Amino acid sequence: MEIEDQVKYVEITYRGIFQKRLAKYIAEGIVYTAREMGKPAVSFGRYGDSPERNGVPAKYYVGIGNGISEEDLIGYSTRVEPDLVDVIVVLDDTLLKGVESWAWQGVQPINLKLKPNGTMIVTSLKRIDELAKMVPKKEFNWTLGVIKTEPSFSGLWAFKDDLTMEKVWGAIAKLRPDIIDLDHLIKYVSKKSNADKRISAIKETYTSVEYRTIVKNEGIDFLYNPPRLLTWQEMLEGTVIPAVPRGKRNEQFKRGTTKFERPTVDFDTCIKCRLCWIYCPDECFDETPDGYYDIAYDYCVGCGICAEVCPVKDCIVMVDESMFTDYRRPYEMWKENRVKYKEWLNKVRQARKERVYVPGLGR
Amino acid sequence: MTEVKKIVEKEVLMNGTQAVAYAAMYADVDVVAAYPIRPYTEVMDTISKLIADGELDAEFIVAEGEHGQFETVKHASLVGARTLVGSSGVGWLYAMEAIVVTATDRAPVVAIIGNRALDDPGAYGVEHNDALMVRDVGWLLAWVDTAQEAFDTTLIAYRVAEDQRVLLPVGISMDGGFLTHSEQIVRLPPKEIVKDFLPPYNRGKYLVHPDNPITVAPQVNEDWVMEIRRQHEEAMERARVVISEAYESFKKVFGRYPGSTGDIKMPENPFVEPFMIDDAEVVLIGMGTVSKPMKVAIKNMRKQGYKVGMLRIRWFRPFPTQDVIRYLSNARVVCVIDRDYSMGSPNRGGVVYHEIRSSLYDLDQRPKVLNFIGGLGGREITIQDVEKIIKIGYEHRDTPITKPVYWVGVRGDPW
Ligand code: SF4
Ligand code: SF4
Repeated sequence: MEIEDQVKYVEITYRGIFQKRLAKYIAEGIVYTAREMGKPAVSFGRYGDSPERNGVPAKYYVGIGNGISEEDLIGYSTRVEPDLVDVIVVLDDTLLKGVESWAWQGVQPINLKLKPNGTMIVTSLKRIDELAKMVPKKEFNWTLGVIKTEPSFSGLWAFKDDLTMEKVWGAIAKLRPDIIDLDHLIKYVSKKSNADKRISAIKETYTSVEYRTIVKNEGIDFLYNPPRLLTWQEMLEGTVIPAVPRGKRNEQFKRGTTKFERPTVDFDTCIKCRLCWIYCPDECFDETPDGYYDIAYDYCVGCGICAEVCPVKDCIVMVDESMFTDYRRPYEMWKENRVKYKEWLNKVRQARKERVYVPGLGR
Repeated sequence: MTEVKKIVEKEVLMNGTQAVAYAAMYADVDVVAAYPIRPYTEVMDTISKLIADGELDAEFIVAEGEHGQFETVKHASLVGARTLVGSSGVGWLYAMEAIVVTATDRAPVVAIIGNRALDDPGAYGVEHNDALMVRDVGWLLAWVDTAQEAFDTTLIAYRVAEDQRVLLPVGISMDGGFLTHSEQIVRLPPKEIVKDFLPPYNRGKYLVHPDNPITVAPQVNEDWVMEIRRQHEEAMERARVVISEAYESFKKVFGRYPGSTGDIKMPENPFVEPFMIDDAEVVLIGMGTVSKPMKVAIKNMRKQGYKVGMLRIRWFRPFPTQDVIRYLSNARVVCVIDRDYSMGSPNRGGVVYHEIRSSLYDLDQRPKVLNFIGGLGGREITIQDVEKIIKIGYEHRDTPITKPVYWVGVRGDPW
């Protein structure tokens, strides 16, 4: 038997610190349920930058053994990341735009490691067909599922239970009973506190989760070129990185996948005060010849500081990252066609949805 | 044969750091000093919650940095408190002055080291050089490879450290990420029976107390140094006996050998874990979680006819010289996998490699020793890497060694 048959992996991609505990507890429930089904299971957390940093994409994994011992399962799972996974859980739809994996391997498609006929489950308020337009193409058919819910922040510091955990389990039980099935899941959950409420959340998602097959080559082109990392002979010695020329940025240090919101700028009202340029912690702003400040979105972490410091009302407004399909610079777009830009600006700003980060509502 | 009791253990999913915190709670520690640094931090997250939930009655002191953190437990330990402390990477090194005197003052502190690469560059992944920085200053050092072993070894650590024949601090090392952040099922014995294994901490005549007026660590004549070191070395040597006793006693009280659980069988040797070693011509050596891909690779290669086995070092200080000799004297090639490096060392290799070579030197028939430097800074040592190591080892059964040290998967060298 191949390793792939002996071990099934679930990958849970989450936003660092906001969802760290959530991801861990989701993994935990899968492990315990798999054990109810008589299978050894382990889980492990991995991160590229740091799961303690705001919004950094990070991952949790569950490995479930089929006909192998717990010891062998741990042997296979002593990895940074598995090569292939059966199920990917995405705890925020803006993560569909790409994530950085361990150790600066570049921005990767969210479904990079999905097995043929694998399953990806996203928490989102968007409809499945909208999401299907955002997912990277694969060479094979796979299943996309959507749990209709706001991205949970329930993993922030102290865990507040908003039933996202149960909804994710319910969706996996529906779409991948080979990973965890409903009966054993309920058996496990009935041992927990508030079991009735939890079980009804599981059952509700089990019946309501929207899903469909994403056929071969459906979705967007997402060219992933892993960066060529330098050999020891090529690197400068002593942990040295040469400076990039003025006006350029280091291609290897993009941090864009951290953001779930990005700033939009109304150049018609900008007073060129320069505060955004001064305050941006990631130096995303570039001064244009006519004194405006353009943004390199690839490097923006979505912290919102520029929007806070800008003295002009509604000059900089943060909008939902999932409104964007590319990383084009706003000033370029504005220069190209001011009217169109304004229309577009109004559109994305109207659609701007303040996320409800109130945990504990069970919504 | 000791009689083995039947006790019911509870199965709980935990990572390595949580397992240590639970063991410290079972040991009923009195003082915990915390300061955060990845990847060890969750020990402190967990134990602070146990205290907050009323599961454990202990002082939880958040220090202003690692130096204060380790000073806190040293002093608490001298006045008779059972303590828990820990750190990782450069945090552990920042406390080094306090760490060194903890051993010299014979304070049986138990520290958990979530192994992490030493900066620069800032990296969170495992490398063993952080813990190995104390290999020569009188700490007992254990390496664990599962959450279960982390739990069991923590209980053992208190028992050994506090034994009046020893009174030395213990560092329990675990691989950052691969164990600190990996959850496995841990069998927790009933809490009540821990007292059958772990007696109360009693410093005897070395207790700093008004009724026992003594001073510890005064500024004294520098001419005391050699005698103090000599005593220390004796205590280190006595620890071998005490460690063996503790493992035997653990088995008696809890009904299983430390580290063993349902699926995972642990050979009954406190210092090393031999695996498929009896007829092995090539033996792999490693510390920590690298044993996991090693075992899978060994099983795979055995199926192809390779006679290969493993010896995992569980206690690095005191170093298990006699076990190493016993298990390796019939091997033809020994492949040491080091998740550390000793810059400018005699053979340009790792720390464990040099210790193993040194242990084998006096044998008339010495196996050849190869060294594989790998997994530094948290990089994977895969099953495929280990299979390759086995093949290289096998090729050297009959051919002399021309290249003793290989770097596993470093960008720029062929691998
Ligand atoms: S949100 Fe604004 S301040 Fe923050 S990184 Fe992006 S551009 Fe800079
Ligand atoms: S802070 Fe606002 S007004 Fe000032 S330069 Fe930036 S965008 Fe323009």
